Amino acid sequence: MSELSRLFHVARADFSYFFRTKWLMAVLISLSVSDMLVTALVYRGLMNFDYFRFLVPGIVVAGLFSAATDTGRRIWLALREGVVQYYMTLPIRTSGLVVAYILSGGLGGIVYSSFLLVIALAVVPHQGIVNALLIIPFMFVLSTGIAGLSAFLASISRRGEIYWVYAQGLQVSMVTISTVFYPAQTIEGFLPGPVATIARYNPLSLAAGALRDSGFGGNPLDLSVLGTLLAASLPLAVSGALAYWVILRTIRLRGKP
Amino acid sequence: MHAVETLNLSKKYGKTDALRGLNFEVEEGEIMVILGPNGSGKTTLLMILCTILKPTSGIAKVVGIDVAKEGTKVREVMGIAFQEARGFWRHKPSSILRFHASMFDIDPTKRQDLIDQTMKDLELWESRDKLFMHLSGGQAKRLETAKVLVQRPKLAIFDEPTSQVDLRGKRKIWDKIKELRNQGSTIIVATNEVREAEYLADRVTILHQGQRVVCDTIPHLKDAIAGGDVVEVDFEDPVSARLSEELKSLGGSVALSPQGNQMRAMVSRAEDWVPKMTSASYNQGAKISSIKITEPSLDDVFMQFTGTTLEDKP
Repeated sequence: MSELSRLFHVARADFSYFFRTKWLMAVLISLSVSDMLVTALVYRGLMNFDYFRFLVPGIVVAGLFSAATDTGRRIWLALREGVVQYYMTLPIRTSGLVVAYILSGGLGGIVYSSFLLVIALAVVPHQGIVNALLIIPFMFVLSTGIAGLSAFLASISRRGEIYWVYAQGLQVSMVTISTVFYPAQTIEGFLPGPVATIARYNPLSLAAGALRDSGFGGNPLDLSVLGTLLAASLPLAVSGALAYWVILRTIRLRGKP
Repeated sequence: MHAVETLNLSKKYGKTDALRGLNFEVEEGEIMVILGPNGSGKTTLLMILCTILKPTSGIAKVVGIDVAKEGTKVREVMGIAFQEARGFWRHKPSSILRFHASMFDIDPTKRQDLIDQTMKDLELWESRDKLFMHLSGGQAKRLETAKVLVQRPKLAIFDEPTSQVDLRGKRKIWDKIKELRNQGSTIIVATNEVREAEYLADRVTILHQGQRVVCDTIPHLKDAIAGGDVVEVDFEDPVSARLSEELKSLGGSVALSPQGNQMRAMVSRAEDWVPKMTSASYNQGAKISSIKITEPSLDDVFMQFTGTTLEDKP
């Protein structure tokens, strides 16, 4: 078996772990679907359908975010339960292990958000299903970036509670300062200019925007937006991979993370 | 070429020396038992050999490959059963073994049969539908051993393979380890259990405070003890100080129990020493209730070479 197939093997094992956490999956799916339902039913009299059309692609991206951050939880558990040490005895390079984890994090995010995308395409009129499919590889890179960020947070967390605090902090900052749930104009109206700029270039905003405009709106794909999405996501994936690699190296030197 | 070789191997955790200039060899096809109390450096040595830990200084080689420089190559020929079982919590034993077997290129056509057979051999078959996180400590430990048995590596390492396993299970695991050796693997077993060492070892290395104290076959180690016979004597009443002094003057190494009515002596020839002891006891009016003559155990060997017992802290 080649190094590459071993890498995919480890990634697949970790990826399957994500879907074995049934209760977590149930919570994630119910949260995402209930967001759609609440907007569609409860707020029906308060908001118009345009907001629902705006929100649903955002929920797909928020789902991707939640699923990709689960990578950090799995890494944290593997570090503390010693499974990482088992991985370190397998015939695969340390860099291969790191890539496998980031890859499986990316896969978890994209597979989960693809389920949501199917639901979204069923409940919201769409004009660019091919565009939506073409955006998926870019969303995969975004997912690896978020997986990388959560790997970084897991690597610096001494305790499980601390990891959750970091992960929630990440969620609050990345989802709140974004155009996932409200348009950029709303942010500009209430928050200082620099915050609005951050929200505009937040990779979650870019992905949600691309889905709205091209996937559901039917506009041609804006390559500059997708390029910016890649440019914003890749450094996150690299920094997370680096942090995880440092942790594995620390284990080799000190015997513990 | 040795199957395993270390030269001046040292490992420090902060200011603590876990290994101190260890020189250690294992020959191809033998079962080497590393005997030492907790904290003697056994697990650190194994963690270095399986490339999880990097040595602070010195060299460690597995089948001639430097563990610090070519870790991936070492991992291709080596398998380890950890002291604490490590598995994917939400996987079943058979899927954990399938993952392990595929990572080590076990023939896919024979893989499932091998896994099933190993699970049956180690009495894991009944637990095949349980998730790893629901296995008992003993079952998880057996699964840890099963990984190495399925893998059949050139160098198989077992770190306290039968801790938490019941007596019947221990014997099964020991027999499977011997079987693995007979199939061509070189085996290292780290333990602080004398019975395990006696059952398995071709040779024993005694580790104490991160250093090799001695390495030899069990008969040679026992022969090396000053004396060679162990005499255990039970007295009806505690022995007087005078008799105790007199018995000590007869030669050998004599130890009295805290209660003062049991004595353990390591002597060169029991047939010479026992008549002198009985005569001295008779003269002092001490009544003997039983005398038992045995050969020294590995515990005695350990005591002889380190001045401490396997249960003592290092």
